[in-house]
Amino acid sequence: MTALPDLAAGGLALGTLSAFALGGGLLRLRRRDARRRAEIAALRTQLDGSLRAFTSEVEHLAARRVPAAARQVTHPHVDVPGPLQPLTDGTPLGRALDDVLVAVQSEVAAQRTRVDAAAQAGMRGATREIQAALYRLQDALRRLQQRYDDPELAQTLFALDHENEQSLRRAQVAAVVCGAWVGLAREESHLVDAVTGGQARLAGYHRVTVHNHLEPGTALVSHAVEPVAIIVAELLDNALRHSAPDTDVVVSLEHVHHGVCVTIDDAGLGMTEDERRRAQRLVAGDDPILLTDLGDPPRMGLAAIGRLTRQFDLRVDVSSASPYGGVRAVLRVDSHLLSRLDPDEKPPAASAPRTTRRPAPARPAAPAPGSGPAPAPAPVPAPAHGYDAERTESEAAGHQGPAEDGLPRRRRRTATAAPRPAPAADRPARRPEDAAAALGALQAGTAAARSAAPHPGGQHDDGTTDGGTTDGDGRGTEGAGPTGPTRPTGPAQPAGPAGPADQDQRAGRSSAHEPTDHEGGAAR
Amino acid sequence: MTGRPAGRPLVPAYLSTGGVARPSRPQLERLSVLTRGDAPVPAGLPAAALALLDVLEGGALALVEAAALLRLPVSAVRVLAADLADRDLVLARAPIPPADRFEPDLLKRVADGLRALKH
Repeated sequence: MTALPDLAAGGLALGTLSAFALGGGLLRLRRRDARRRAEIAALRTQLDGSLRAFTSEVEHLAARRVPAAARQVTHPHVDVPGPLQPLTDGTPLGRALDDVLVAVQSEVAAQRTRVDAAAQAGMRGATREIQAALYRLQDALRRLQQRYDDPELAQTLFALDHENEQSLRRAQVAAVVCGAWVGLAREESHLVDAVTGGQARLAGYHRVTVHNHLEPGTALVSHAVEPVAIIVAELLDNALRHSAPDTDVVVSLEHVHHGVCVTIDDAGLGMTEDERRRAQRLVAGDDPILLTDLGDPPRMGLAAIGRLTRQFDLRVDVSSASPYGGVRAVLRVDSHLLSRLDPDEKPPAASAPRTTRRPAPARPAAPAPGSGPAPAPAPVPAPAHGYDAERTESEAAGHQGPAEDGLPRRRRRTATAAPRPAPAADRPARRPEDAAAALGALQAGTAAARSAAPHPGGQHDDGTTDGGTTDGDGRGTEGAGPTGPTRPTGPAQPAGPAGPADQDQRAGRSSAHEPTDHEGGAAR
Repeated sequence: MTGRPAGRPLVPAYLSTGGVARPSRPQLERLSVLTRGDAPVPAGLPAAALALLDVLEGGALALVEAAALLRLPVSAVRVLAADLADRDLVLARAPIPPADRFEPDLLKRVADGLRALKH
C-alpha cells in the first residue's frame, strides 16, 4: 500500500510540473501578445504621422507651391518653395510632386500666350481701323493747309496736324507691337526725311536737333522708310521723356562701314544696369512679345522697336551711356537697306536739315546728273550779289573760276547766254554796203545757176554790180522793180520791199507747189 | 501734296516753321515778290529758311511759286519769308497789280482830240 502515496505524490508532481509548464507558456504568450500590440500601436502612430505629413505636404503644394510656380511663369524672380519635409526629396513622392509643378507651369505658359495672342489680335484690329481713320484725317488736314492760308486758320491746322501725328504714332506703335504691318507703304525716300518725319511725330520736337553728315542723296529703300521713321520716333520719345525739358536731344546721321548710323544722345537721367539690360533685350527683338509683359499701362516703344528690328533687319543698341550723361541709342541701317536718290531730281523735304558735307569733293565726280537748278555752288558769288543788272556778270565770273582744281565745271544757262553779246558787238563793223554786196552775190549766184547761163565769169561780175544796185535801189524802195524781174527767180531775198510782181511770182510758185502740199494734207 | 497721289509726305509742314503759322509781318500776300537780300547768311538758320534762300538764289519769285518749289503750304512760306525779311535776307515787294483795261471812253476822247489837232 505504499505505492498509493507514491503515485499520488508522483501525480501531483507531474501536475505541478505541467501546471508550471503551462503557466510559463501562457506567460510567454501573453508577453508576446503585448509586444505585438505595442508594435502595432507604434506602427499605427507612425502611419498616422506619415499620413498627416502627406496631407500637409499636399496642402502645402496647393497653398504655396502651385501658386508660386504659376507666378514664376510671369515673374521669373519668384521663388517656388520646396516641400515641407526635405526627406521626400528624391523619393517617388517627391518626384511626383515636382511633376505636378512642371505640368502646372507649362499649362499656365501655354494659356498665357494663347490669351495674349487673342488680346493682340483684338488690339491689332482696333488699331488698324484707328490708324486708317487718322491717315484720312491727315489727308484732309493737309488739303486744308494747301487751300487756306489765313494765318489763324493755318495755325489751327498746324496744331491739329501735329496732334494727329502724335495719335497716329501711338496707334501705329500699338499695331506694330501686336504684330501688324506698319500700315503705310512709302516710296524710296531720303534717310534724313525719315528721321525728320519721325521727329515731327513727337510733342517735344522743338528740342531735337539733327546733324546730318550724310552724303547728299543717301536714301532708304521703300520698305525700310516707315520702320526707320517709327524707330527714330520711339527712340527720340524715350530720350525726350527721360531728359529735362530744357535740354536738347542730339541726333546725328553718319556713314559707317556697313551702312548708316543714326545716333541719338540725350542729357537725361540715364538707365540703371537692370533697365538697360531689359531695354536691350526688348530692342533686340529675340524674345516673343507678350502684352502682359509690357506693364500697365503698357510701354510699347521698345517692344515695337524690337519687332521692327527683327522684321526689317535693323540694328538698335541702347546699351551704352551717352557722353551727355543720358542714354545713347544707335540705330544702324545696313547698306542693303540703303539706296541713292538724285538730290536735284528729288530733293529732300525743305525742313530736313541739310548735310554738312561739302559738296565740293562729291560734285566733280558726278557732274553729269548735277543739273541746272543745283543751288549748291551759288553761295560763293552770293556776297557780291546785287540784282538783275549785275546778275549775269557776277554769275559768269563766279562760274568761270573753276581753275583752282582744274576740273571742268558745268556752267549755268545764263553764262552760256553771256557770250552772245560779244559777236553782236562785232557785227556793226560790217557796213550796209558789204551786206548788200554779199546778199547780191548770193542772189546773182542762185539766179545764174537756175538760168544755167554759160557765162560764169561775167555772171559773177554782173552779180556783184547788180547786187550793189539792187541794194541801192532797195533803199529807194521802188527802183528794184525793174531789176528784180530781169532775174527770173532771183528776188527771193529782197522780196520784202519789192513790188507786187514778186508776190505774183511767189504766188505762182506756191500754187505750183500747192498740189503736193494738199496731197500731203490729204494724206495726213 | 504736289498732286501726286502716291507719296504721302514724310515731313509735315508744321516742322518747317516750328509750328508757327502767324507771320511776323502781315503784309505778305500770295503774290508778293520775294528776292534775295544782300545780307550775309548767318549760321543757325532753320533748314527750311535756308531752302527758301536757295530757291531765291535763282531770281525773284512770287511767294506762291516759292511755296510750290519748296513743296510747303503758302502759310508756312509766308512765316519763313517774314522772318527772313526781318533779317534783311529777303526783300519782299508788294504784288504787281494786274494791268487795268483802259476806259474806252477816255481813249475815244483822246483820239478825237488828236484828230481835232490834225485838222
